[in-house]
Amino acid sequence: MTQTSMPPSVARSLLGHALPADVRESVRGDLDEVFQRDCRKYGLPGARRRYWRQTMSFTLHFVVERWRDRRRGGLMRIGLSWLDFKLGFRMLARYPMLTVVGGLAMAVAIAVGAGTFEVITRVTDPSLPLPGGDRIVALNYWHRAESGARPASPYDVLNWRERLRTVEDIGAFRLVQRNLIVGEQVGEPVDAAEISAAAFRVTRVPPLMGRVLVDEDEAPQSPAVVVVGNRLWKIRFGADPAVIGRVVRLGATQATVVGVMPEGFAFPVRQNLWTPLRVQELPQEPGRGPGLRVFGRLAPGIELPAARAELTAFGSQIAAQFPKQYENLQPRVLPYAESFLAIPQGFLVRAGIHSINAFGAVFLVVVCGNVALLMFARAATREREIVVRRALGAARSRIVMQLFAEALVLAAIAAVLGLAATDFALKWTLAALSTEAEGWPFWLEGGLSATTVTYSAWLTFLAAVVAGVVPALKITRTNMEAGLRQASAGAGGIRMGGIWTGVIVAQIAGTIFFTAVAYVVQRQAAGIASAKAAFPAEEYLAVRLEMDRDGLMEEKAGTVDESFLRRYEATARELEQRVAADARVAGVTLADVLPMMPSGGAVIELDDAGLRDSVTGRQLFVSTTAVDPDFFEVFQTPVLAGRGFASLDTGAGANTVVVNQLFVNQILTGRNAVGRRIRYLSKDSGAIKAPGPWFEIIGVVRDLVPNPEAPMSLDNPGKIVVYHTLGSNRTQSYPLYLATHLRSGAPASVLPALRRIAADISPGLRLSDVQRLDQGTSSDARAWNGFANFILLVSAIALVLSLAGIYAITSLTVSRRTREIAVRVALGAQVSHVVSIVFRGPMFQVAMGVAAGCLMMGALVEVSIRDSDVGVDTMTRHAALLLGYGTIMMGVCAVACVGPLLRVFRVEPTDVLRDDG
Amino acid sequence: MSREALGEFEQMVLLAILHLGDGVYGVPIVDEIQRRTGRTVAPAAVYVTLRRLEQKGLLTSWMGDSTPERGGKSRRCVKVTVAGLESLRDSRKVLDSMWKGLDPKLRGAQ
Repeated sequence: MTQTSMPPSVARSLLGHALPADVRESVRGDLDEVFQRDCRKYGLPGARRRYWRQTMSFTLHFVVERWRDRRRGGLMRIGLSWLDFKLGFRMLARYPMLTVVGGLAMAVAIAVGAGTFEVITRVTDPSLPLPGGDRIVALNYWHRAESGARPASPYDVLNWRERLRTVEDIGAFRLVQRNLIVGEQVGEPVDAAEISAAAFRVTRVPPLMGRVLVDEDEAPQSPAVVVVGNRLWKIRFGADPAVIGRVVRLGATQATVVGVMPEGFAFPVRQNLWTPLRVQELPQEPGRGPGLRVFGRLAPGIELPAARAELTAFGSQIAAQFPKQYENLQPRVLPYAESFLAIPQGFLVRAGIHSINAFGAVFLVVVCGNVALLMFARAATREREIVVRRALGAARSRIVMQLFAEALVLAAIAAVLGLAATDFALKWTLAALSTEAEGWPFWLEGGLSATTVTYSAWLTFLAAVVAGVVPALKITRTNMEAGLRQASAGAGGIRMGGIWTGVIVAQIAGTIFFTAVAYVVQRQAAGIASAKAAFPAEEYLAVRLEMDRDGLMEEKAGTVDESFLRRYEATARELEQRVAADARVAGVTLADVLPMMPSGGAVIELDDAGLRDSVTGRQLFVSTTAVDPDFFEVFQTPVLAGRGFASLDTGAGANTVVVNQLFVNQILTGRNAVGRRIRYLSKDSGAIKAPGPWFEIIGVVRDLVPNPEAPMSLDNPGKIVVYHTLGSNRTQSYPLYLATHLRSGAPASVLPALRRIAADISPGLRLSDVQRLDQGTSSDARAWNGFANFILLVSAIALVLSLAGIYAITSLTVSRRTREIAVRVALGAQVSHVVSIVFRGPMFQVAMGVAAGCLMMGALVEVSIRDSDVGVDTMTRHAALLLGYGTIMMGVCAVACVGPLLRVFRVEPTDVLRDDG
Repeated sequence: MSREALGEFEQMVLLAILHLGDGVYGVPIVDEIQRRTGRTVAPAAVYVTLRRLEQKGLLTSWMGDSTPERGGKSRRCVKVTVAGLESLRDSRKVLDSMWKGLDPKLRGAQ
């Protein structure tokens, strides 16, 4: 062949891969021969076309042939054939109850296992859904003495950028919130990041429109620019195609929009707007300046250990140069998403967290154990067929594999359902728990990962082994001769081993325990939902007030300085006064927490013995709130004893407090509160430090939220409250909530006016977390309800499984012992005696399960009321409830035996014995 | 009859080899089948069938000479085995038995 008359090289290469080794050379040779012939007949182009057609034809034919070979050899090698799976599908249709009950149970078990695995993986091994996301790293410090992470300083950022070789495109960011004002719209806060331009090189996501930030944007005095997120572009800019070049206001600063990012981009955490971080304008001395989060990308060919080694060596040099600033600080580089975890990174800790997956697997084994019981009962009806097949030469392994295939079909269908449910539940839960103020990092969102789906395949296999292989081994264990005799005589019951008994007992005990837990959780949800404020909460609007701290170094509230606090308080007061002047407004007040909202708490010590004696007191937990003096008046809460706050109670040295009625009822057991004293006890690593100063109770007010009848204190809006005044030394004054009471109309109607006034006072004043006060508990109630419903679903499935298992076994027992029953009755035995012989086994298992479940419930109740002052009446009530509940569950389980029981009564000895003859 | 029945295409391939004689290879087999049947045949199907027949023991093969036209690659030459001949005869017997007595009916249908 000449060079110009060669077949296409790509086609030849494809043939080389598609053809089996034994025919490769000869087939390619034949095709080359045909190619030469075609060149003479059709010319080179025609010959090439025909060669390509032949290549595709040969590839297709031999690939199919190879697949057929594998199918013929592969499955048969492990004793499975397609017929087994066909039979499996047929059995599902033939036994619909088992399919539905068993399939549902397996679906829930696989869903729980997959969901647990997904959550643990996201927490311990988060990965970034970005191009090359596994090579994006974070750099920070680890404080050896405090065992906690510390951010880097501007000096560190510039130093690392200049000197490190193993990490490139090093940048930094800090998260801020700013009012974004577009055109004539009223400003609304957005989650923004002041970030280095390197972020866009590291993430490698091109903009949808315009450009991303560049290094020149970070230069001092360069024009202010912003890049906008996709969602923000759609909501605030109406998806304006001409948005590039528009000027907006961010707080007090005007900036030009230079780019729009594509949907889904939210680096570094969940941001929607990016402005340049001007590191050069921050303090450059070592250890000074704001804390910055630093990121970068591993250099090509470099892995994490090498980067760590370089950073450690570099860190030692810097620590030697500046020992005071870097004492105890160990620089480290780690995968980016892991730097946001609060979980210690030690091997044992991570292993411990991953071991939680074992519980998911154990749960699956227990559930599938019960499904195995149903599969066993089904297989037992085919015992005669199985014994005859074995007698004719079928290997035990063959029969076991057939039953395994049937179970695998059921488990595979259940896995599809379970994974779909888990994916939905995960997305729904993330959305439900996310608020505008506190969303999830972008790498935690989305459905199940490929790793979890692979893990679920393993769970499915395990489920099929437990539900299919285990009963198959039991049913094929009988000696063939004895089995044939039994099968033809129609005699004998099912002998359940200890494991089967344990499965039924554990299932019933778990059902009882978790149903009771679900009831308690549901009551908690109902209690929270039913909590009704003692004031018309639907007429109140709550808004959180925050302010830009331009020029300030720290964003955390705990380190705000005095000058900022003074400015902030003045701004908040001005807002309060101007809002109060609105004719629609009946009252306005400020507080650090409002009624119906979650609040912090503290342990107090009470002066039991009076003002003059030394105190010992009991330790009690209360909620604390800092309020304005007009707080109780705005919330229409009368003072029941003593007095409310006055102007003399404000200021740093103020030591007066007001308590609510619940404080008097539960802590003082109705005794007089006015004139008593309390002090706070603070804890340090579990040990109680020296107590703080005394505070005098000057008044008692009505409960703003009466205590609902919820069994637990978690998320309970009715709390024991101690009120301080704003500005006292006990409280922090940032951020505050503004509560506005409207005379009429929807509270939200005043929001636009609020925003206009706030923008007028200061463009840096941000209003967020806007809500009507009566909606404060709705999300908590929803979460508790969701939790209760989940426990109820699992309990219901466990109960149905238990009942189905009991029914199947007793039914099968009656079928197999029909002749024995007939003989006993014919010989004069009482039917009741026969019933007790047949059913005592299953009912004994039920009784054991009920007893175990009630004991677990009793232990839980005892632990929960251990530290409470609970009287004998309450204890007796709890015991009676437990006993009644156990009796009801015995009755429910006994219902499963009704069908088989009726069949026993209908046995006619003469008919049975005549049929045998 | 204890041997596995031959498919129609398998019979065609074996018969083509018998027509061409021992030592024939893939290209002439394809041409022979196309010439005698008057229809186009996918060469890949012929090669797959040759391989399958060899796995069943109805053919044997060996590597023959190479030529420059084939880029220096050898031919795989084939020959029908005794088992292959017997399978062909059995298939012929089965067909003849099915055809027996049908000629008058078919003549009438023309």
